[in-house]
Amino acid sequence: MTVVDDRLDATFAALADPTRRAILAHLATGDATVNELAEPFDMTLPGISKHLKVLEQCGLISRTRRAQFRPCHLERERLDAAADWIETNRRIWAQRFDKLEAHLRDIQDTGHG
Amino acid sequence: MAELTYTRVFDAPRELVFRCMLEPGHLTHFWGPAGTSTPLDGITVDPRPGGVFETVMINDADGHSYTMRAVYTEIVPPERIVWSEPGSGMITTSTFTDLGGTRTEVRIHQADVPDSFRSPGDQARFLTSLDRFAAYLETLVS
Repeated sequence: MTVVDDRLDATFAALADPTRRAILAHLATGDATVNELAEPFDMTLPGISKHLKVLEQCGLISRTRRAQFRPCHLERERLDAAADWIETNRRIWAQRFDKLEAHLRDIQDTGHG
Repeated sequence: MAELTYTRVFDAPRELVFRCMLEPGHLTHFWGPAGTSTPLDGITVDPRPGGVFETVMINDADGHSYTMRAVYTEIVPPERIVWSEPGSGMITTSTFTDLGGTRTEVRIHQADVPDSFRSPGDQARFLTSLDRFAAYLETLVS
């Protein structure tokens, strides 16, 4: 339930950076080269490459080895895993709160009765 | 470096809601999410900094159990309870706010903090709100 595997930790750490989120948003519209990804940012190519390396290491993106410009590709399964974990955790607390609400009602009714 | 917050307002006095989160006799009634139960003999509460907080949640359908192992790091009645889960590095802070009358707000704040960012100041600087980000993720993956 609140078990966080190492890879998920790395995923959340990668997602905690606004530049990397913007890169992922760009890749959600289709594969792109490093040059294309660097365009909207006031950042050097090595700077962007550093971000891409972080995203690649946690599995959020992949890069083809063969093509000359090595386009980046969004790995949606990793994003799904992160979103699933957040959703599961949110649901656990929502259900726990529902039960606590009922329990508080029960014991207060008893107390007053 | 992830952060999640859940808030709910309960129609009960703050002292009572606080006790519910700290006493096994209360926790057994609500700790397990829907479809699970948390038997009294599977709950360990040693309410002091460094004390153990363990719960065994059992899946009603297949009998599988899940054990949460945590250690309390701060207990301030009736305002705040903080525990950390050594296995995942997750820190959970429960804050109880008296809203007047008999209403109490409970705020659960969960942070998954790397060892190098343990101080409160560092946490504040480095944490990123993930519950807002969950909605953002959905727009990306849909």
